[in-house]
Amino acid sequence: MKAPAIRGLGVLSGTEAKSVAGASAGATSANSTLAKSADWGSAGAISGPPQLKGLKNETVDRKSPEILALPRPERPGDRFRRATRECLLARAAVDAMLEDGKTSREAIAGERTALLYVTAAAYGASNRAFIEQRGGVMHFAYTAPAVVPAEVAIEFGVAGPYGILIGGAPATLRAIEQAARLLEAGTCDQALVLAVEIFEECADLYARHRRSYRWPLVETAACLWLERGAGALSFESARDGWRAAGAVEPGERFAVGPLADLRDWRARATAGPVELSGRWRGEHARLLWSPDKSHARDSAA
Amino acid sequence: MATPERVVIAAAGVVTPIGQDLEAFWSSLVTGASGISQIERVPVADLRVQRGGEVKKLGRIKDWRGVPDCRASRLLIAAADDLCAQAAFRPLPLDPARVGVVVGTALGGVEEGEKALAGDRGRHRLPQALYDGPGWALARWLGARGPVITVSTACASGATAMAVGADLLRAGEADAVVAGGYDALCRFVLRGFDALRSLTRDEVRPFDRRRSGLLLGEAGALALLVRERDARGPRLGTLLGYGSASDGFHIAAPEPEGRGLERAIRAALADARVSAADIDMVSAHGTATPLNDRIETAALKRALGRRAHEVPINSIKGSLGHTMGAAAALEAFMCLLSGQRGLIPPTLHLEEPDPECDLDYVPGQARPGRPRVMLSTSMGFGGCNGALVLEAAR
Repeated sequence: MKAPAIRGLGVLSGTEAKSVAGASAGATSANSTLAKSADWGSAGAISGPPQLKGLKNETVDRKSPEILALPRPERPGDRFRRATRECLLARAAVDAMLEDGKTSREAIAGERTALLYVTAAAYGASNRAFIEQRGGVMHFAYTAPAVVPAEVAIEFGVAGPYGILIGGAPATLRAIEQAARLLEAGTCDQALVLAVEIFEECADLYARHRRSYRWPLVETAACLWLERGAGALSFESARDGWRAAGAVEPGERFAVGPLADLRDWRARATAGPVELSGRWRGEHARLLWSPDKSHARDSAA
Repeated sequence: MATPERVVIAAAGVVTPIGQDLEAFWSSLVTGASGISQIERVPVADLRVQRGGEVKKLGRIKDWRGVPDCRASRLLIAAADDLCAQAAFRPLPLDPARVGVVVGTALGGVEEGEKALAGDRGRHRLPQALYDGPGWALARWLGARGPVITVSTACASGATAMAVGADLLRAGEADAVVAGGYDALCRFVLRGFDALRSLTRDEVRPFDRRRSGLLLGEAGALALLVRERDARGPRLGTLLGYGSASDGFHIAAPEPEGRGLERAIRAALADARVSAADIDMVSAHGTATPLNDRIETAALKRALGRRAHEVPINSIKGSLGHTMGAAAALEAFMCLLSGQRGLIPPTLHLEEPDPECDLDYVPGQARPGRPRVMLSTSMGFGGCNGALVLEAAR
């Protein structure tokens, strides 16, 4: 299969989020670990950690594994008055991607742009809020995973082919492969692979299953912008037997891991093929991406 | 461009409020039976609407050992049991590593999350609450060791899953794929739709001028997909094409002109390499909300042109409610059975046609007809639109 070319990549990571003066402590130890500024693109100011009612008394105790949280981006306008943290982070990731691609939002608008969204668990926070009867009537709509790419589609005018995969890193690798397939078939001219994972609101639930995950869990939102390219792409997946459901590799970023890895690879501007891999529930997947000038950030510029 | 390899729907299995196997489901559809009843499994006394398409007793499987105590997983596995009975597919007749599973869902195992938050500390609760939990439970039950994929394009999920399953076959990642959709009725979704005032206290009346909303249903619906060159024995039909498009308009409401659905239909026709003139029947999303049915009518008229006025169009949601992630797969199976059996199920409770929905929506009773190529449309939260083009086996 022909490999797509990278037009832009935006990654917001809990390992790098800004610490904002006056921000209150989060439900976890996240704020103490927030590092210095990172690549926030045009995401704008950060208003502080999520401020959901009911979380204060559920603070994970000091022995609990750590969650590196992303603060809730500031609402970019009244249209986002009901938007959840995962929706706002998705939007911010797209903004960062556009900044990386040195272009404006008009470039991704229209019917010829595909949008593929991947998450393993980002909907957990909204589901919980609804189950615990927080939020208004409209909050129910925000419990659907489909709402995160919907907010992006509405905000940026993306109206092309659409897909939503639920799972960890292998699902994201598969989404990149699907994007390559759509581009190769001419179904679209460009494709966005969007992935978001947040954990903080359900920290106590993850802590119940602490042995299933390689801690810390790192909240991350990322968006990859692909166009037709000239290299080669191969995808493969295999199973390694039935493990305890939920057991994952150091993929503490769940679905967003491969996009964070890709960003790191671009930052190193390494020559040669990119190999992205990941595991989820006992499935290993690997994506081999042949050299393409567009991969390295310097070349893309 | 080379023609993509054809993918055959070799068999299908279902569990629905109107029948717990494909034959019972079909019989109920053509006789106009209703699966709507008072909901009994979860508390609903505080809700405005307390009815839905509930599967009263999952009678197909007697021994649930090894299967998580999760309603969604069990609906899915009950549908798989029907599929396996028809296709002799368990134990797997081929290398398990070459068998994939692709399921679509709007809700996953969210009820397990409700239980976990209510204090149930069972070790399976959280893994099953993640939306891909039931898909993995199905793969484990089947013994399948190929790719396991869960898609969640809201109420278009079943269509997306079948298309992704076909892609797996064309890419050579699997030699057989069990694909379809599911969703269970639980307090989470009943309370949500009740709060949105989307549910009706009346019958579900797609395309009727008195229509006042939908009722939810639960179901599992799975197909066995294989490449045409690998297909042996009887088959239901062929998956000719799929199209999707986002509305990019609103979180919970469809775009008023149905442009997203129109784009999805056009993409599906192009993918199938057929024209509107080739379509013999349409299975509409037809939720019976005032907005959906009017928008869908407009989109069908634009996408199919004159043909929209010439072909029968039905909605089966009056019979079993809106089964969310399972809906598109069930509707696809209904289309294929119509082509095989020569009968088109009616749109139940459509008695007074809406002048704004002025297409042939098959009111009254089942109608003789043997469609060859069918279009099935789906729309979901977040502006997810999907369309399948299918060809019935003769």
